[in-house]
Amino acid sequence: MTTMNKTDVEYTIPEVTPELERGPVWLRDQRRASREAFNVAEVPPRGLHLWRYTDPKTFLYDRDAVADTAYSENYDIVEKIELDNLKNGNIAALATDLGGRDIKLNGADELAKQGVVLSSLSSAVEHHHELVENYLYRLVNARTGKFEAMNGALWNDGIFVYVPDGVTVDKPIHLLRESGLARSSQFPRLLVVVGKNAELTLIDEYGGGSLDENEGISHANGAVEIFGLEDSRTRYVMLQRQASAMKLYLTHRAQIERGASMLTVPLAFGALLSKENFGVTLNGEGADSNMYGLLFGSGYQHFDNHTLHHHAADNTSSNIDFKVVLKDRSHSAYTGLIRIDNDARTCQAYQENRNLLLNEGVRADTIPELEILNEDVQCSHGATIGPMDPESVFYLEARGIERDEAIRMIVSGFVDHTLKTVPDDLRQRIGTFVAQRLERI
Amino acid sequence: MTQSKAHFEFKDIHVEVEGKEVVKGVSLTINHGEIHAIMGPNGSGKSSLSNALMGHPNYTITSGEARLDGKNLLEMSADERSRAGLFLAFQYPLAIPGVTVANFLRAALKSHRGKDADMSDFRKLLKAEMSDLSVDPSFATRYLNDGFSGGEKKRVEILQMSMLKPKMALLDETDSGLDIDALKTVADGINRYHNDQNAILLVTHYQRLLNYVKPDFVHVMMNGQFAKSGGPELALKLEESGYDWVEKEVLQKAEV
Ligand SMILES: Nc1ncnc2c1ncn2[C@@H]1O[C@H](COP(=O)(O)OP(=O)(O)OP(=O)(O)O)[C@@H](O)[C@H]1O
Ligand SMILES: [Mg+2]
Repeated sequence: MTTMNKTDVEYTIPEVTPELERGPVWLRDQRRASREAFNVAEVPPRGLHLWRYTDPKTFLYDRDAVADTAYSENYDIVEKIELDNLKNGNIAALATDLGGRDIKLNGADELAKQGVVLSSLSSAVEHHHELVENYLYRLVNARTGKFEAMNGALWNDGIFVYVPDGVTVDKPIHLLRESGLARSSQFPRLLVVVGKNAELTLIDEYGGGSLDENEGISHANGAVEIFGLEDSRTRYVMLQRQASAMKLYLTHRAQIERGASMLTVPLAFGALLSKENFGVTLNGEGADSNMYGLLFGSGYQHFDNHTLHHHAADNTSSNIDFKVVLKDRSHSAYTGLIRIDNDARTCQAYQENRNLLLNEGVRADTIPELEILNEDVQCSHGATIGPMDPESVFYLEARGIERDEAIRMIVSGFVDHTLKTVPDDLRQRIGTFVAQRLERI
Repeated sequence: MTQSKAHFEFKDIHVEVEGKEVVKGVSLTINHGEIHAIMGPNGSGKSSLSNALMGHPNYTITSGEARLDGKNLLEMSADERSRAGLFLAFQYPLAIPGVTVANFLRAALKSHRGKDADMSDFRKLLKAEMSDLSVDPSFATRYLNDGFSGGEKKRVEILQMSMLKPKMALLDETDSGLDIDALKTVADGINRYHNDQNAILLVTHYQRLLNYVKPDFVHVMMNGQFAKSGGPELALKLEESGYDWVEKEVLQKAEV
């Protein structure tokens, strides 16, 4: 085994690291500050609530002991599907991102006619430096946490999407991010700015990674920053279908201004272990955020998810519906925080987490957290954890439907509402993931 | 039990729920084309009997026999009973969020026929049956019973029956919750379905359904047993006088 699979690595980012030298002065400063923050920050103690279910040392590996390697074959299949989708006009553009290094763009020229930018972050640093300097590191940075600082120092390249004021991108932009094979690590990064009264649907798909634990784990540590300016409408679908020996840490933060709406759809099917953190700050009056999460665990998969809805302005509304289906020996922990600032009046915030357990031996934890600093709110949260209702199964059986098929239908029904929020071209593929997991029950 | 000509028959059925015996030895023989009604006070075991016959996991048949066209139902799972031709319209149909009425019916038909129905044939059939039962076409794409009113649920139960065309239909209080017009529509649906090749056993509290769907026999269930059986006139008498007199009769018999 390589050192990176041990959990007692005390890795610090060396002073001379190629990534730290990349880009203009402001960027190098940010990277160095991130390096510094990473190196001095303690490994978060397990007792800390966000680390109760996952050992933080999982994400602390000797980054220099690993290299980029080849990419899985499956990647090409998906790329082909999505290129067909592009050709058939189902999506507006496709960007493929190999481990935060090779970034290929398809359809970006067409988008440019509308003033929409889809480019690598490195190119955006050159060509749109004001935008990038203004927004990058604002939501996910050295202060966010140790692992966010790690990404902030070590990201190689990433993706930048910009939609100018008043522009509607009428089809989804699809990002395909591929992790390397065993014993590699990647630091994907995404920056999105949706201008005033602009509209964007973005699919952010994470695949690849090591297929076999015996050959070694592959790691990814991702950061996503999304800005929705006044009256913008953004839909962000994050699909995680990484390979079975992959460990993922990902922090997503979005901030939406007055009158803006944000739909966030985290979908997770893959990876051996993943810790994903989705947060939206409602930063302007009347902003509205919805999250529809779905994860489906099987085998020994471990999922640790957080959501945050932070109400920082009056009359903002948020809603979370996070669904979990678990089978075999999988485990999910969900922590959902609703924070309502002292000076954010008449807000509405709802949160629901439902966990469907398909067999004994799975484990689901759910922790709602409320930090409500003012009285003038409507807020509710609920959580359920339990097996499938035998009465529902009986109802379908009583109509002649065999038990296994009845269970499949009920699970599909459980996730149906979430999948309705996903653009057509993706929904079918996701339906297939669900179906595959329901083949053996 | 020897092979009999009876269409549907059960003998000395005992049912336990939550460790309590709620059906205490009931027997009935139903021939092709017959309509039987079971009436009886709340809690007398009518639904427990119907659910147990359908194979509900919470209702255990501890002893007895049940056959449909000579086939032993009790060794079949619920889905096998359905495919053998037994149908139960539930007193309290459950909501199945995420499963549309159309997908549900398509899956049910597929399991009965052993193959998927042609999509356009299926749509036509569904549309026709829905219109016969005055079910709004929009219900096809709604989630099954999710947010349906009491009466809408009952209509959709009968819709399921008319699509599946079972040999033997158990209808548990299909009339409850229906307004006057809906009662007529549902009764018409039941009568359209009924022929001399199938049979109906319906549970009801009221004569009003029996005015439309005319039973050949009426059975009174009390405390888990059939206390009395008779013709359609029995239902009228119950409607007029309630159950007290039946209970007294039973007690008198017991004293003799
Ligand atoms: N799932 C259950 N758990 C516990 N007790 C039950 C259950 N189902 C039925 N029972 C009990 O069994 C007895 C018979 O109930 P059942 O529902 O069969 O009556 P019913 O004749 O259908 O009444 P109603 O006319 O009110 O529908 C009642 O005492 C009832 O409380
Ligand atoms: Mg009943």
